[in-house]
Amino acid sequence: MSSLSTPDSPDALGDARRAATFASHAAAVRRRERAAQWHLLFLAVVVLGPLVIYPLVRLVLLSLTGPHGGFGFQAYGNFFGNPETRGVVGTTLWILFASAGLASLLGVALASLLFFKPFPGARLVTRFLELFVAFPSFLVAFTLIFLYGSQGSVSIGLQRLFHLQAPPLDFLFGVGGVILAEVVFYAPFVVRPTLASFATLDMRLIEAARSLGANGLMVAFKVILPLAWPGIAAGTILCFLLTLNEFGILLVLGSAHLITLPVAIYSSATVDLDLPTAAAGAVVMLMMSLSLYALYRQVNRRKVRGAR
Amino acid sequence: MAVELDPTVLPVMHKRARPVQRSLLTRVAGGVFMAFAALLCFWLFVLPVVVVALSSVAAHWSGTMLPDGFSMRWFERLGSSDFDALSTSLEIGFGVAVLGTILGLWLALALEGRDRRGLGALVDTIAMMPNGVPSVVLGLAVLIAYHKRPLDLSSSAAIVVFVQLALVLPFCYRCAAAALRPELTILREAAASLGAPPAMVLRRVVLPQLVPAIRASLALGFALSLGELGATLTVYPPGFATVPIVVVGQVERGYYLPASALSLILLLVSLAALLLIAARVPRRRTD
Repeated sequence: MSSLSTPDSPDALGDARRAATFASHAAAVRRRERAAQWHLLFLAVVVLGPLVIYPLVRLVLLSLTGPHGGFGFQAYGNFFGNPETRGVVGTTLWILFASAGLASLLGVALASLLFFKPFPGARLVTRFLELFVAFPSFLVAFTLIFLYGSQGSVSIGLQRLFHLQAPPLDFLFGVGGVILAEVVFYAPFVVRPTLASFATLDMRLIEAARSLGANGLMVAFKVILPLAWPGIAAGTILCFLLTLNEFGILLVLGSAHLITLPVAIYSSATVDLDLPTAAAGAVVMLMMSLSLYALYRQVNRRKVRGAR
Repeated sequence: MAVELDPTVLPVMHKRARPVQRSLLTRVAGGVFMAFAALLCFWLFVLPVVVVALSSVAAHWSGTMLPDGFSMRWFERLGSSDFDALSTSLEIGFGVAVLGTILGLWLALALEGRDRRGLGALVDTIAMMPNGVPSVVLGLAVLIAYHKRPLDLSSSAAIVVFVQLALVLPFCYRCAAAALRPELTILREAAASLGAPPAMVLRRVVLPQLVPAIRASLALGFALSLGELGATLTVYPPGFATVPIVVVGQVERGYYLPASALSLILLLVSLAALLLIAARVPRRRTD
C-alpha cells in the first residue's frame, strides 16, 4: 500500500513507465471498443437483417415493381383505385381518432380516479388491468358479441325491460362495435403509463396548492396536468399506435361491412393472392405507423431526460 | 401520556378554517359517482373475462340474458384438430419465448451503454422497430421475403416462428435492457478487476442477476405468441393452425360456444404458464 501511495522513483524512468502503461491501457480500451462495434455490426447483419430489415426492404421493393418487372407505381394505383377500398385511409383514420381518443380520455380519467380517489377494490382493478394487457384483442371483440350482439345479454335485457318487439341493439358488426371494442381493449394501455407518471408526482405540491385554496379542478389543471403530461402524452401516443396496428378486432367485428387498411391488406394478400397490391397498401400503412412510432420515441426520450 | 382536553375549551379557530363539512347532497353524489365508476370498471374490464368463462360452460346461450343451463359438452366435443391447434400453439409459443429471450439478452448485452449514438443507436432503433410495425404488414413482409427461392419457408411452420420472433424481440430486448442497471456494471467491473475472465463474469455475475428479467421475458414472449393473430394469419402454411386462427374461424362461421371453450383453455394455459414462469420472481426492492 505504501509503495503505491508514495512513489519511490520520481525520476524520468518512472514517468516513462507510467506513460507506457497509460498508452497500453488506452490501446486496450480502443481495441475493446472496436471489437464491440464489430459485435454490434455482426448482430445487426445476422439477427436483425433476416428478421426485420430484409423483409421490410423486399416489401417496399415489391410495392414499387411494375407489372413487367420494371419500376412503377402501378400497385398503388391498383390498391387505391379498387372501388371497394376507396376511402380506406379516411375510414381507418376516422376509426383511429374516435377509438384511440375515447380510450385515452377514459384511461386518463380512470387512472386519476384510481390514484387520487381510490374506491373500494381499486387495487384489485389495477392488478386486473395489468393482466388485461395479456388478453388477446380478438377475444375482447368476441366477448362483446355475447354482451351487445343482437342476441346478446344486454340487448335481450333491454328488450325485456321495455317490452320491445325486436332486440334494440344492432350496432356491433360495424363502426360502433369496432370503436367500443378498441376503447375497452386499449384504455388499460393508457392507465398504466398515466399511473406511473402520477406516482412520480411530488404530493407536497398538491397539498401546497390545496392549502393555498385551490379547488379540485384548479389542482387538476394547474398542478397535476402540467407535471404529469409527458407520461400522459406518451401513453396517449402509444394508445394511438396500438390502435392503428390493431387487426383482430377489425377482423372479427368489421370484416363484413367495414373496409379498413389492415383488413384490405389482409384480404388482397390472402384472398386475392395479389402480393404487389397488398404490398402497396402495407407500405402506406407502414409510413403511418412508423411516423407515429418515431413521435412516441421522441416523447418518451424527452420524458426520460426530464426525469433526470 | 394522553392529555385530557377540556371539552369546554376549544382551540381558537378562524371562522373560515373550520373542518370541511360537506352537505349531505354532495356526499351522496360523491358516493353515487364512486359506485358508478366502480361499476363501469367492472362492466368494461371484468365482464369480458367472465363472459368467456360463462359461455364456455353454457349448454345453450342465444336469445336469453343468461345461459339456459350449464354443461361441459363444449369441452367434450373438442376434436383432435382443436387439440392439435393447442399443442401447435404451445410449441410455437415455447420456441418463440426461448429464442426471443436469448436474442433479446444478446442484443441487450451487446448494446449496453452504446444505444445512444453511432451504430448502437441504429441497432437499437432497428431492434425496437417491430413494435411500431402493424402485425399484418410485418407478416406480409416476411411472406414476400421468404415465399420463394432462395429461401422458401412458406410451407413450413418455421415461417410462423420467424414472424412471431420478429414481433416479440423488442419486448424481450426491453426486458433484458431494463435489468442491466448501473449497479450491475459496478459488480461486473469488480469481478473483472479481481481477475475473472469475461466468460466467468457473464456466467457467475451477470446471468444470476438477470434471472428475474429472463423469467419476465420468457413469460411475456410466451403470452404474446399465444395470442398473436394478425401476422400468423397472414403467413400460416396450409394444414397449420394455432388456437387464435381456429377461434377466429369458428367465430366467423357462427360457432360461438365451441370457440369460447377453446379460448378459455388458451387463457388458462397462458395464465398457468405466466404464473409458473413468473410466480417466484422476487419483488424488486423498493428504495
